Amino acid sequence: MKILTVTAMLAASVAMTGTALADDFPQRPINLIAPFNAGGGTDLLLRGFAPHFAEAIGGDAFVSNMAGGSGTVAAGALAGQRPDGYQLGYFSITVSTIQPQIKDVPYDVDSWTPICSVAASPTLLFTTADSPYTTIEEAVAAIEAEPGKLIYGSSGPGAMTHLTTVAGFAGLGVLDKLKHLPFQGSGPAVQAMQAGTIQFFGDTEILMTRGDFRPLMVFNDERLENYPDVPTAAEAGIEPPLNELYLWGGLFAPAGVEPEVVAKLEAACEAAVNSEGFQEFAANTATVIDYRGAEEFEAFFRAQYEANGALIEAAGL
Amino acid sequence: MIELLPQAFALLLSPQGLLVLSVGTMLGIVLGALPGIGSTVAVAMILPFTLTMDQAPAILLLLAIYAGSVYGGSISAILINTPGTPQSAATCLDGFPMAQRGEAGKALGWATIASVVGGLTSAVVLIFAAPQLAAFALNFGPIETFALILLGLTCIVSVSEGSLVKGLMAGMLGIFLSTVGGDPITGEARFTFGQFQLIAGFNLLAVVIGVFALSEVLIRASSGPDSTGVLVDFKGIVLPRWAEWKGRLRGLAKSVAIGNGVGILPGTGAATAAFISYAEARRSAPTRANFGKGEPDGLIASESANNAVTGGALVPTMALGIPGDAITAVMLATLTLHGVTPGIRLMQDNPVLMASIFAGFFIINLMLLPLGMLVSKLAAPLLRMREAYMLIVITLLCTVGVFFVRGNPFDLLVMAGAGIVGFVLRRQGYPMAPLVIGMVLGPTLELSLRQGLIITDGNFGAFFTGHPIALGLTIAAAGMLSLPLIRALRSKGA
Repeated sequence: MKILTVTAMLAASVAMTGTALADDFPQRPINLIAPFNAGGGTDLLLRGFAPHFAEAIGGDAFVSNMAGGSGTVAAGALAGQRPDGYQLGYFSITVSTIQPQIKDVPYDVDSWTPICSVAASPTLLFTTADSPYTTIEEAVAAIEAEPGKLIYGSSGPGAMTHLTTVAGFAGLGVLDKLKHLPFQGSGPAVQAMQAGTIQFFGDTEILMTRGDFRPLMVFNDERLENYPDVPTAAEAGIEPPLNELYLWGGLFAPAGVEPEVVAKLEAACEAAVNSEGFQEFAANTATVIDYRGAEEFEAFFRAQYEANGALIEAAGL
Repeated sequence: MIELLPQAFALLLSPQGLLVLSVGTMLGIVLGALPGIGSTVAVAMILPFTLTMDQAPAILLLLAIYAGSVYGGSISAILINTPGTPQSAATCLDGFPMAQRGEAGKALGWATIASVVGGLTSAVVLIFAAPQLAAFALNFGPIETFALILLGLTCIVSVSEGSLVKGLMAGMLGIFLSTVGGDPITGEARFTFGQFQLIAGFNLLAVVIGVFALSEVLIRASSGPDSTGVLVDFKGIVLPRWAEWKGRLRGLAKSVAIGNGVGILPGTGAATAAFISYAEARRSAPTRANFGKGEPDGLIASESANNAVTGGALVPTMALGIPGDAITAVMLATLTLHGVTPGIRLMQDNPVLMASIFAGFFIINLMLLPLGMLVSKLAAPLLRMREAYMLIVITLLCTVGVFFVRGNPFDLLVMAGAGIVGFVLRRQGYPMAPLVIGMVLGPTLELSLRQGLIITDGNFGAFFTGHPIALGLTIAAAGMLSLPLIRALRSKGA
C-alpha cells in the first residue's frame, strides 16, 4: 500500500515537471545554489535574499550549498542541467568570469542564462594605518626603491583580492617588483597585514573597515562617499580596463531558459531586491545593491568576461 | 570588561538566557555526535534561526552549538569509532578500544570531564587575557606556523601502532592526498587527472569517516557470522572518581595549555591541537605504554585539548575582530547581520555584549557535563541494537552525514574509496591515524612552507635565523623524533 502511494506520488511529480508550462511557473520550490560554504558572505546574502524572492515569485525558494574549487564545483554541476528555471546559482565575478578562464572547468561564457544582478561593491587597495605610505604615489616610490622587498597578500590565487592588487600595481607598472603571498581566505591575510607580514591588500569597503587600514585608491568610477580624499584608480593613472573593479554577483540559470520563465524570475528578483526587508538587510551588511535586469545583466556579464581576460593576463594566471 | 561580568552573568542566569544556552548546547552535542555534521556545518545550519533574535542570544546560541558540537564528536568516536567531527579523530585511538573492553561509560566519563575542564579553562583565559594573547598571536607568521606543524607531524611516530615504517607510509599517503586539487599558491589543478570534481581536492571529512568508520564496518562484516552480539556495552556515563585522577592531572594541565595555545593561532584548529596534545601525552605520560589500547590519559589529552581550542579560537576573533577559521567567521558574520561591526574596535565599542558573550561561554562549558550525560543516556538504548543492525545504521549515518556537508555525490565515492582502501591497509597492519594526521596537517604544512619560502626568497636556512619561536619549535620537533631512538638505544645498552 505504502509503496503504491510513493509510486503514485513519484509519477505525479514526474508528470508535473514534464508538463511545467511557463504560465504556471513556479510549481515547485526554486533551489538557489550558493557555491560556497554556509556562513560565508555569498551564503549570507543569498539567505537574506531568498525569503523576499520566494514571496515575490509566489512560491517557495530554498538555499542549498555546494562548496569547493572556489565556487567552480557548484557552477560546473549547474551548467548543462535542465534549463527549467528551478535551479539558479548565485555566482560572483570570480566564479562566472575569472575561474572559467584560468581553470579547466566544464562551463564558459555561453553556459548561462543570466537572470539578474543583485549586488556590486567597488574594491579598494589598502595598507596598514601606521604604514609609511600615505598615498599611492609614495607606495609606488617605495616599491621602486627596493624591488622584490614589499609583499601584497590575497585570499587565494585568482580571488578578487588578488585581482584588485594586480589591477592596481600592473596598472602602475610595478607589479613585477612586488611579491605575492596568497592565504587561505581573507581572515588570515588581514591578520598577516596587521602583523606586518604583508604591506598591501585589496578588498571591499566593508572588509577594510574591520581593521586599522588606510585606503590608497578605489576601483570605482567616482570617489567613495566615506573616503572623499582617496583617489579613484583612473585618477591615480590607471588605464581601462584595469581602473574599475566590482565584486558583483547575480543569479544565473543554465543556458536555454524559456523567455517567459526568465521574465518571471527577473521580475521576482527586482521585487525582492527592492523589498523593504532586503534593503534593510543590505544596509546592515554594507551590501551595495546593484540591480540589473536579464538583458542588461547578460551584456554586462559578457563585457566583464572579456575585460577580465586582461586582468588574468596581468596576474600571470 | 571584567567589571561588567557580574551584570552579564545576572542577565544570562535568567530563565530566558538559560533556555538559549541549554537548548544550544544540547543541540550542539547531538549535531556533533552525528557523523559528518561538523562544527562549521552545525553552526551554519542554526544561523538562519538566529536572524530574528537579539544580538546577545543569537551569538550565544551559536557559541553553545560550537562548544557542544566539539564535545559531541567524542560520543560517536568512543561508542562507534566514528569521529563525529575531525576534531575527535584522536579520541578514537583510545576511546574505542576502551569501549570494546566494555568500559564505554567510563571512557565517556573521562572524555566529558576532560572536555569540561578544557572548555572552562579556555573561557577563563578568554575573559582575562584575550587582548594580550591576540597581540602575541600576531607574532605567528607563516614560518612559525610551519615549525608548529612540523612539531605536530612528529605525532605520526607516536601513533604508529606496530610498525613505524608502515605508520610513516600511511602519514605520507595522507599528506599526498592533501595535495590533490588546487595549488594554494598558483591555483593550478594538481593530480586531478582531468577529473573536474577533484579540483576541490578530497573532502577531509569524507576521507576521515571512510578510513575510520567505514573500514571498521567492513572489518566487522568480514570477520564472520558472529552478528548476534552488540557492538559495545553502554548504559550511560560513568564519571571517574577523584582518586583515579591521581597522576593524570599534570597531563591534563599540559593538554589544556596546548589546546589554548594552538587555538589562538590562525589557520590551525581543534584537530591539529588534539593530535599535538595526544603526541605530547604519549611521549611524556607515565602510562605511555598503554596508549592506543584504551588508556584514559590518551582520551584526556585529545578531549581537553580540542575543547580548549574553542575559547582560544575566540581570542583573535573577539579581540581583533578577525576570524581565524571558518567557524569564527560565521560568528562574526552573525554579528554583522545584527548591525555590530566586527573589527579591532569590537571590544571597545560593545563592552556589554562582549561581557555577556564571555560569561555565556563559561556557562555553556559548565552545561556540557549534565547535558552530555543526558544525551548519552538517551543514546544508550540505540547502541543495544544487534551488531549487524548497528553496522547498517553506522553506514547510513556516515552516508547521510558526508553527503550533507557539501551536497556533492562525489564525496560519497571518496568516502567509499577511503573505506575500502582503509580496510585493505588496516588488514595489512597499516595504522589509519597517521593517514588522517597527514591529511589534517598537510595543507597548512604546504601553504606555510611555501609562504615562508616566498618571504625569504627561497632561502630555507632563513627560517631559523631571526625566527626564535620557529627555531624553538623545530628543536622540539627534532627532540620528539629522536627520543624513541635514544630510548631504544639505552634499553639495548642496559
